[in-house]
Amino acid sequence: MRFTSAVRKVSLGMLFLACLWSASAVMAQDVIKIGVLGVMSGPAASWGLVNRYCAEASANMINAQGGFEIGGKKYKIEIVSIDDRNDPKVAVSGAERLIHEEGIRYIIGPNIDPTSMAIVPTIEKGAAISIPYAFSKKLFTPPAKNSILGMIASYQAGPVIYKYLQDKRGIKSIAFVARNDSESLNQRDEGVLAAKALNLNIVAASDSYETGTTDFFPVMSSVVSSNPDLLVISGAAPADTPLLIRAARELGFKGIISTETAQDAKVISELAGDLANGFISVGGASTPAIRSSYMEEFIKNYEKVAGEWNDEAGTKVYALEIILNTIKAAGPAALTDISLFMKAIDTFSMPNPYLKDNRPLRYVGLGDFTQRRQISVPMVVTEYQNGDFQTLFVGEVAN
Amino acid sequence: MGQVLINGLYSGVQYALIALGLTLIFSLMNVMNFAHGQLYVLGGFVTYYVYGVLGLPFVVALLAAGITLAVVGLLFDILFFRKVLARSARDESTMLLATGTALLLDSLFIIFFGEKHRGVPTVISGVMRISNNIFLPYSRVLIIIISVAVIVFFILFMKYTRCGRGLRAMAQDREAAKLMGVNVDRYSMFGWALAAMLAGLAGAMLVSVSGVNSGLGTWLSIKAFIMVMIGGAGVISGAIIGGLMLGILESFGSSFLPGNQYLAIFIALIIFLAIRPRGLLGRQ
Amino acid sequence: MNRKQKILLLIVALAFYLVLLPYLCRDRNYLLGVITTASVLSVISAGVWLIFYIGRINIGQGAFALIGGYTGAIAISKLGLSFWFGLVMAGIVSMLVGIIIGLPLLRLKGVYFSMITLSLTETARLTAQSLVPITNGPNGILNLPLPGELSFFGITLIPDFAKVNKHIAMFYLSAFLLIASYAVLYRIINSRVGWLFRSLQQNEDLASSFGVDVPRLRVIAFAICTFYAGIGGAFFVAMQQSIYPATFSVQDSTYFLLYCFLGGLGYVFGPLIGTFVLYIGFEMLQGLNEYQPLIYALLMIGMMLWLPNGMLSLRLPFLAGKKSPLGGAK
Repeated sequence: MRFTSAVRKVSLGMLFLACLWSASAVMAQDVIKIGVLGVMSGPAASWGLVNRYCAEASANMINAQGGFEIGGKKYKIEIVSIDDRNDPKVAVSGAERLIHEEGIRYIIGPNIDPTSMAIVPTIEKGAAISIPYAFSKKLFTPPAKNSILGMIASYQAGPVIYKYLQDKRGIKSIAFVARNDSESLNQRDEGVLAAKALNLNIVAASDSYETGTTDFFPVMSSVVSSNPDLLVISGAAPADTPLLIRAARELGFKGIISTETAQDAKVISELAGDLANGFISVGGASTPAIRSSYMEEFIKNYEKVAGEWNDEAGTKVYALEIILNTIKAAGPAALTDISLFMKAIDTFSMPNPYLKDNRPLRYVGLGDFTQRRQISVPMVVTEYQNGDFQTLFVGEVAN
Repeated sequence: MGQVLINGLYSGVQYALIALGLTLIFSLMNVMNFAHGQLYVLGGFVTYYVYGVLGLPFVVALLAAGITLAVVGLLFDILFFRKVLARSARDESTMLLATGTALLLDSLFIIFFGEKHRGVPTVISGVMRISNNIFLPYSRVLIIIISVAVIVFFILFMKYTRCGRGLRAMAQDREAAKLMGVNVDRYSMFGWALAAMLAGLAGAMLVSVSGVNSGLGTWLSIKAFIMVMIGGAGVISGAIIGGLMLGILESFGSSFLPGNQYLAIFIALIIFLAIRPRGLLGRQ
Repeated sequence: MNRKQKILLLIVALAFYLVLLPYLCRDRNYLLGVITTASVLSVISAGVWLIFYIGRINIGQGAFALIGGYTGAIAISKLGLSFWFGLVMAGIVSMLVGIIIGLPLLRLKGVYFSMITLSLTETARLTAQSLVPITNGPNGILNLPLPGELSFFGITLIPDFAKVNKHIAMFYLSAFLLIASYAVLYRIINSRVGWLFRSLQQNEDLASSFGVDVPRLRVIAFAICTFYAGIGGAFFVAMQQSIYPATFSVQDSTYFLLYCFLGGLGYVFGPLIGTFVLYIGFEMLQGLNEYQPLIYALLMIGMMLWLPNGMLSLRLPFLAGKKSPLGGAK
């Protein structure tokens, strides 16, 4: 239950407060600190919090085994997280804190383009690696080299989904609706390009809504009146998605609705119910049909940390695991020297522990960024049916 | 066009409830309550637990949200605002206090209710088709009816009850009301409770249609300020007109100026206020 | 406290700030960055404080900081000007916009002025997002160079930031801005104009009946306020080498108010103290994750309950002399 877990968290927080001063002074040597920097408050709080909970759950699992072994020595994992409030200023000072105060070299996050771009000078100067969950190609294409995309980008998932729907369901026209902020608008523009490449007829692409909107009827009535076969919700925050779906359906929209970002089934079922049946989105390793027993165990740990499972975590589970294993492959010196880590990226590969089929987990991105700067998170395209996501197909970024 | 108007009306009546509370607190105590949006969010969460999780009838949830928020309003006045108002040299200090309470509520929401968006099953399902391309879901009809009823009830209350008259006297002139034997402290408390209750009721209705999450508060406070600016601060009719106008402007904006509706609203507002500094109906 | 003691206190404070602090933080880039940020934020809040001083509450300072930031960024990236020119331009453009907007809006009183300035911040963000050809829209303006060399007839006044320790250079630039802006503010407040500003705060009608040109004075105060915002905004652009519509938000605008409130509205150095205490305090609480804003909120509420007139209202013996002659009531 959410409430009891909150009470537990408060008391833990108090304890943490008490320990804070003493603990920081006597830092044991065999600890690897990993940073999480992202938005953990405000309307998009779930993006950063899910990153943090994932990292903490993974760290708990590793620490329960006695630590993570690199070069014959076991290290405890410690997660240091900072809320950047989606504010580039705060993100920069947060990154400086992680790098210069905590001595961290590997940072998970941030969550949007502005914050991810803003910390680039800081991580380059401080010789650190970031794993942003933002899609701007500038972050990952040379001369940039310190950021590694942590998930499937919308412009990678978009074409795949559109193509699939074009082939299997015969869609011909497409419309886009986006939130009026940098991230979503960019994703929409990328989506429009992908749709053009497939010769889909773009019937609406300029509609957007403000952050914090609770009534989506106005924006949807104008999109729905263009009557597309496929309605794409670009860069939708999990909170907005079910409302957008519901508004579209209540306005009589009959076509298919899809988005390129990860969503949570519970929120969708609470708010949109059966109206959301047939909704298509991209997830990670979380649908029961494809997940391994290791993933099941992770979900249990996640629930301990966060209070309840969130399907968004399916795509965000990979970061900590792949960072640690790449350091292991590169040797203990990579703990402080990221150039060794970057060298190891090109050849690194491990079996994906979260999927039943154990397909390789490695670094990709040659196609989109001309260098390997993306984690090969499986592209699990799912369809919402009566409260759960069903796997449609599992794709991946080719190289 | 018809659809646009109906959308506007729907948001407008809900906005009016929020603006009424904000304007009431302002007229009684000269306090600009920055935490008003957060009160509204809290009303939504109470409803989520009572109606969504415990499965009690929606009316019970509505009442629970109203009562909880009234208590929170009372506590706000007794614990914070009364003390600061009495002691600070400038009343603007209450603005810092209100911002502080907004931040407090926001962080408590995240800790206790989590980061997820919450929703409840629809109270009534189905869509009313007014004409070929005008739709109105029944859940929205219900909200429009409840909101209008609450507004009418509020107006009657302020006009015809002793308590309402006391509040109005205090809003007009605090000192004079005090001299005439109105218990200013008790009425301030009552005003806070009433205003918070209105916000809570609006929040309870919101959750049944659009759900609620921990981060909605600030933007709603800003919207409430816009409504009060349009209508004029401290006037009941102004708050209602302001709420309705914002709802309709928003709706027209998103169908004729997609993506730039709020920019247009803000610019229009600035020009409007330059010409009419007191809003449509504001007091001199 | 007599004049001699005052000067002594000032010298000690400056020595601490300009010599000891950077020395202590020479290897701690993060801490130095926090102090640098606090310094410039306090310049921006100084403008907000001046508007308080004439009896208005400005919740739109973020808008002017954003205007300054974009002016600086556009001057550097699109016009190819040097940062130093961009910095001055940022102040001036922000001030001009402030004057144009201020002329009609300063007629609004009380909460109306506060609420409309609050909307200004949101308007600025949305404008930056919509004016794609000039501001590059939601993508922001990125990869700006560090401030270059400033020389005068071949003599280097300021070295190229890329060639020296960037963090130290930024700190001294922010320190210079802070000292200059507060010196100017102090001078203004203790001059005849300052006396007139005070009369506006107490009673505008009375002031105008004595022949004070009230509207002109208000605009002058607003121009100074927005100039400070513009300079501060441009500094941030240089420090972060990028700007986005979200760089200054409504939250920032309200924080500037809080800094002033907390330091004390009756004291010139109120915003300075308020900014340093609040901003550095917030950074200190970073490790507490979601409890950070909670503790921060409780601190803020506690401050208002126990010190409703700001921190400088604590009558510590050595501060007593700094109290400006401003009384209480509005």
